[in-house]
Amino acid sequence: MALLAALAICAPVFAAPLSVTVLKRDGTPLAGAVVSAEAESPAAAPAPAVQGIMDQVNLAFVPDVLVIPVHSTVQFPNNAPTSHQVYSFSSARSFQLPLYRGKPYPPVSFDQPGIVTMGCNIHDNMLSYIVVTSAQFFGRTGQKGEWLAPEVPPARYRLRVWHPLLNEPQDLERVVEAGAGRTPVQFRLTKALKPAPLSGRPHSWDY
Amino acid sequence: MGLLTNKAALLTGALALSAAAHSADWELALDLRAVSSDGRESFLDNGQGKLRFDADHEGIQLGRVRAALDQPLGEVFSAHVEASVWDADDKNPIDLTEAYLEYRPYPRAGLRSRVRLGAFYPPMSLENRARGWETPYTITPSAISSWIGEEIRTVGIEGQFEWLGTRTGHDFDLQLTAAVYGWNDPAGTMLSAHGFAFHDRQTTLFGRVGAPQDNPEFAKKELFHEIDDRAGYYVGAQARYLDRAVLQVLHYDNRGDPRVEAPAIRDFAWYTEFDAVALRIETSSDWTVLLQALDGHTIIVPFTWLTWEFDSQSALVARRFGAHLLAARYDRFEVGFQGDPDAAVSETGHAWALAYSYENGDHWRFALEWLRVRSDVPARVEMLGEPSLATESKIELSARYALSGRF
Repeated sequence: MALLAALAICAPVFAAPLSVTVLKRDGTPLAGAVVSAEAESPAAAPAPAVQGIMDQVNLAFVPDVLVIPVHSTVQFPNNAPTSHQVYSFSSARSFQLPLYRGKPYPPVSFDQPGIVTMGCNIHDNMLSYIVVTSAQFFGRTGQKGEWLAPEVPPARYRLRVWHPLLNEPQDLERVVEAGAGRTPVQFRLTKALKPAPLSGRPHSWDY
Repeated sequence: MGLLTNKAALLTGALALSAAAHSADWELALDLRAVSSDGRESFLDNGQGKLRFDADHEGIQLGRVRAALDQPLGEVFSAHVEASVWDADDKNPIDLTEAYLEYRPYPRAGLRSRVRLGAFYPPMSLENRARGWETPYTITPSAISSWIGEEIRTVGIEGQFEWLGTRTGHDFDLQLTAAVYGWNDPAGTMLSAHGFAFHDRQTTLFGRVGAPQDNPEFAKKELFHEIDDRAGYYVGAQARYLDRAVLQVLHYDNRGDPRVEAPAIRDFAWYTEFDAVALRIETSSDWTVLLQALDGHTIIVPFTWLTWEFDSQSALVARRFGAHLLAARYDRFEVGFQGDPDAAVSETGHAWALAYSYENGDHWRFALEWLRVRSDVPARVEMLGEPSLATESKIELSARYALSGRF
């Protein structure tokens, strides 16, 4: 009995870490990549819905990428002194928020997985993305290009990697068995990233 | 005056559409200059000098006082007004450079349209991209942009149709533009009178600009008039690669009837047609390369056909270091009368500009510019008794303070 108890403490068989590292074509880490792990066999329910916030500060969306479980809602407060007209015509969710400041509209719901691209009809430099996922585990890679899910139950997972600047010919996906022990997975891009949006120009430059 | 009244009515109608549902954004800016110049007597003062501030206008000068208002009207309409003070001796102490109503519906399925009605700049200058149609790279814009600010304004209606590829997973955006306008029949007058010039002064909608004449009484021209009752048009296209490169082309034809004279303003309907192309590339390392070219002609028929052909090219390289910007630009320009480069009213020339500017935050901008224009203008000999060849230089310091807010 003592031996069994010790095994139970030292090696829990119900979950294990899953770590995903994303490297650019030149082998350097890619920070900010969205990684999701969706259980395919056995299938599982998506992560619980959340209430997200996509802020608008200083003529930019903050954050630039937001990852939410399917059926979540997102509030779009405009804390800038300038009015914005937020729109998306992505197939995953198209909507528009007529010209506003402050927080006049109820949150927008996102009920279909996919990438939602948002812009402002007044300020074309404003661009952001909401990644709506039906996965159980998701997040963004850090400065070392790594994302870690500490406790993943044993299952077959479909891993997906996405980044706004990705230039790959095909979707970055892989199916792995995870949850039985630490599972390290590495993705390496085959193409260079698209150029990042320019930043730091004075606002007076945009007429 | 009847024509002027019509133009004013168009502007007023465009701006007074409906009660404002949203508060307006306003901006005020004061731009003062310190100038050292050896320029010949300026084209603004009945001379053949290429600069706004000549040797008689050194020291502290007013660059510009600018007031701008953006007023949303409902959800998809807005009104934009730009008013400026340039010189103390202008016809109107304060006057409009642009005033228009914009209809900007929401994009649908990656497509967007936009309509402007009123008075505004055609989409030509990738250089004058900053507020108030100013260039952020130097104090004085290129010969091409200087001329647009001097003689070209759309007083009419413009439609734009845009494919927003970057919002649908692509790397490109494409835009088509077409406009129908009036009140730009005198366009070409200044090119024939003093050729290209280098200045940031934008002719106001109801103001005048100098033209060298034997009789100074005829020297001031009003540029935004309808003379022949024939509408002009332009069509243009723009392609953008992400936010890194913009290529723009425009064909402009004011369809002026060059035989029609307007004695009230001592001018003709100048038949002015040109093509303009511009390319701007910006890199991750904060370099900018900007190339512009203009090629066209302007014609009047007072008794026989008189044709001026004109062209100009410009190349600018700039590097931004945070809030600091260094820029260098080369321009060449040419106006040929009746195909004869030695004719009195022909000219050739080139110019170099070097500029440093500092802009941090939304209030202050400081800029220092050296500009040298070398031009060969035979008219200087015949009209002014000066040598035809002139090298004019200036060093100019600009301090601009801007305030903005909302009503």
